Amino acid sequence: MPDTLEEVVLDQQLLLGEPWVTIVWNDPVNLMSYVAYVFRSYFGFSKAEADKRMLQVHNDGRAVVATGTREEMERHVEAMHDFGLWATLQKASE
Amino acid sequence: MKAFARKGATYVATFTPDEAQLLQQLCLQIAELMGAHADYTNDTAVSRLLPDAYRDDDEAAAEFRRFTADDLAGRKAANARVVVDAVAEAAAGSAPAKVVVGALEAQAWIRSLTDIRLTLAARLGIETDDAPLPFGEPLVDAYLWLGYVQESLVRVLR
Repeated sequence: MPDTLEEVVLDQQLLLGEPWVTIVWNDPVNLMSYVAYVFRSYFGFSKAEADKRMLQVHNDGRAVVATGTREEMERHVEAMHDFGLWATLQKASE
Repeated sequence: MKAFARKGATYVATFTPDEAQLLQQLCLQIAELMGAHADYTNDTAVSRLLPDAYRDDDEAAAEFRRFTADDLAGRKAANARVVVDAVAEAAAGSAPAKVVVGALEAQAWIRSLTDIRLTLAARLGIETDDAPLPFGEPLVDAYLWLGYVQESLVRVLR
């Protein structure tokens, strides 16, 4: 049994491995309203959160939209490609 | 075209026969393009519809593509056929006609309208946000019109 909460957290990280992120990149084609809709409907973001991330994509050229295991991020990236959004995954530390 | 409006659990828009035929033709081309998607390295439109999932890892990108590209292309072709079927009556008619789109179909519509716009943009060389649109090209009118159709549907989507 771990003695502290900190040890439990560390153990979980060991099991899950290094976190990965899903990134959506800006493109000149997709409508801002559509990108925000995708973020709301697929990731379940509130309207305010979806708009914030959409504007981040638009203004900064990219936004992290999810963090988790590599397998989860691959599923998200494939779903984004279904929607026609330009998405990639990478290690969170990269 | 009369913009999409929500009616109960469906979305309704009005298309002229010309508009419905244009939509059909473009969707059929997407379905065809996705049937021959192996050519993704030489076609900017295909490589945009089926993009790399990894930016700096060619091996992982190739592996991801091997496991997902066929299904992804198949779903894109199927989405396009949903739109083709939905506008068939309007395309065959002689006057503007209502097109009724169910909630599930609407998901195919927004994806397929995106795929068409991405493909047209690749063909027109639209690569940056502030790139001037090559007005005068017939495809530009279609590109802008499809943006209007999509915006009108996204605006009323639940």
